[in-house]
Amino acid sequence: MSERPPAEDFEDLYENAPCGYLSLAPDGHIAKANKTLADWVGTSSEALLGTPFHAILTFGGRIAYETHLAPLLRLQGFVNELAFELLRSDGTKIPIIANATEKRNAEGRHCFTRITLFKAVERRSYERGLIDARNQAQVAVGAGLETAALREQFIAVLGHDLRNPLSALAAGIGLLERKEPLSERGRTIVAEMHGSIARANALVANLLDFARGRLGGGLTLSRDADQPLTPVLEQVVTEIRAIAPEREIVASFAIAQPVNCDRGRIAQLASNLLANAVAHGAADIPISIAAMTGANLLTISVSNGGSTIPEEAREQLFQPFFRGAVRKSQQGLGLGLFIVNEIAKAHGGTMNVSSTEDETRFTFSMPLIA
Amino acid sequence: MVFKRNNVMISGEGTRSILFSHGFGCDQHMWTEVARTFERDFRVILFDHVGAGRSDLTAYNSAKYATLQGYADDVVEIGRELGLADAIFVGHSVSAMIGALASVKAPGMFSELVMVGPSPCYIDSDDYTGGFSRDQVLELLDFLADNHLGWSAAMAPAIMGNADRPELSTTLENSFCATDPEIAREFAKVTFLSDNRADLSSIVARTLILQCRDDIIAPQCVGEYVHEHIPNSQFRLLNATGHCPNLSAPDEVAAAIREFV
Repeated sequence: MSERPPAEDFEDLYENAPCGYLSLAPDGHIAKANKTLADWVGTSSEALLGTPFHAILTFGGRIAYETHLAPLLRLQGFVNELAFELLRSDGTKIPIIANATEKRNAEGRHCFTRITLFKAVERRSYERGLIDARNQAQVAVGAGLETAALREQFIAVLGHDLRNPLSALAAGIGLLERKEPLSERGRTIVAEMHGSIARANALVANLLDFARGRLGGGLTLSRDADQPLTPVLEQVVTEIRAIAPEREIVASFAIAQPVNCDRGRIAQLASNLLANAVAHGAADIPISIAAMTGANLLTISVSNGGSTIPEEAREQLFQPFFRGAVRKSQQGLGLGLFIVNEIAKAHGGTMNVSSTEDETRFTFSMPLIA
Repeated sequence: MVFKRNNVMISGEGTRSILFSHGFGCDQHMWTEVARTFERDFRVILFDHVGAGRSDLTAYNSAKYATLQGYADDVVEIGRELGLADAIFVGHSVSAMIGALASVKAPGMFSELVMVGPSPCYIDSDDYTGGFSRDQVLELLDFLADNHLGWSAAMAPAIMGNADRPELSTTLENSFCATDPEIAREFAKVTFLSDNRADLSSIVARTLILQCRDDIIAPQCVGEYVHEHIPNSQFRLLNATGHCPNLSAPDEVAAAIREFV
């Protein structure tokens, strides 16, 4: 038989409990306090008797007690988890958490307010940390919202303010072409201007996509498997030929299966790859574009001759604003291949690049989902 | 809609209207016990200031409520909506001054003002004792900011079973004194930095000042100052202690109001 543990001494439990006990008379004066609390405050239980509860609260705590706690206690009979600071006799403060209940007699008369107090030094320091973090987060969110507003504005400027004058320019050139007598030289210049406008439009489109993709929104696709892809790709080739009439472009399309894709986007991908080949490829070697379906894949590849892309540059090709060495007149924003890659990813496809002394080839492949 | 914005509650069977206005830190529940004693022979109006209780928090606007006049304008709007004339305004704590401003703005709306624990200015100056130093007020505002977590938890709507006072559990289902912590901080700032001493002499309504003993928020000398500066006023020292006699001694407060009106 094990020995019975000694009976708990309730008086000692009250006096030396690991928390503070405090009873207030209805007028707010201290009617009883345990030794633990008196020790925290730096005085004796006897000295606390009859003093107002206010005397051991910081100023903020006193006002909060009068304006918030006393009413709440009176109305609902209890208040839990209050954060306070006790004022010690030496003027220092101890953070505490307290629960309070009203003790009433059989007639419902308020006899005491009983308060249990716990030291909360650590808890208060991490609460302060949380508040600081929250404040910082709010500042950051505010700054983020401002940036977002700027982005929206930026995208709108790109889309509207840049495209509108280009459309006006294109319409004006069209009028010149059709309605005004032009010399041979004049017609050549007008054709070149058409090409430049098309290139500028393509750059704006890339920039818009970059802004949307990078800064919010992302690329959205409107897929359509019912419509044929080949005519769209043929149109792209025609446009590039118009822009670069001096270059030979060999096209071969063998798309036998329906392709569930965003045809506008795939056209943009092909157009960017061709424009890239025109800018970087050797002028005397034909550019070729081939598109085919097979093995449950759509592949579109564009190749050109010319110098090899160095190994280390290949990794950078699809990064935004990456620009290889080209003639100044052909310099773009460095977004073409980035957009190509984004379009490929959006279709669940991939981009591959191979570059040898014979040719540089970009290949897009995407799965054909039945 | 003014009634929804201020959660206006109307009860009672009299023809004369008595409107009770709560102070900083609580809501209209603070007046429940006093107000019910007037229901037999008065039209009793209770409401929450915007930001407190069940007021419409979306109606809160830092600029409008940056002065007590913003709150007083709401009282005037409520009064106009109800067609109040020669009514009684009972304001606790900061609401005493809100009522004073409302009575000045809308002459004839309130013929009687009852101020419970009023203070026209909380901060001491050379020739005035408000009971607080400027540093103490700043400490209080810091306290409210610093205790955000603890306070919002304590003040958040709580559903309770109240064994001692079952009538409260049944009649008041949701919460007491629920305050949005951010708004409470701004209300504290407006309240404790206010100075309406210059407005006291403009009050024409008959005024009763009810003063508690041992009120650290509105000490007796402040209540006496208010009495000296309001032309047609009476001063009455209650036996109640603390700052909320409407809760700690509702019978005494109700009897004093009844005697006055």
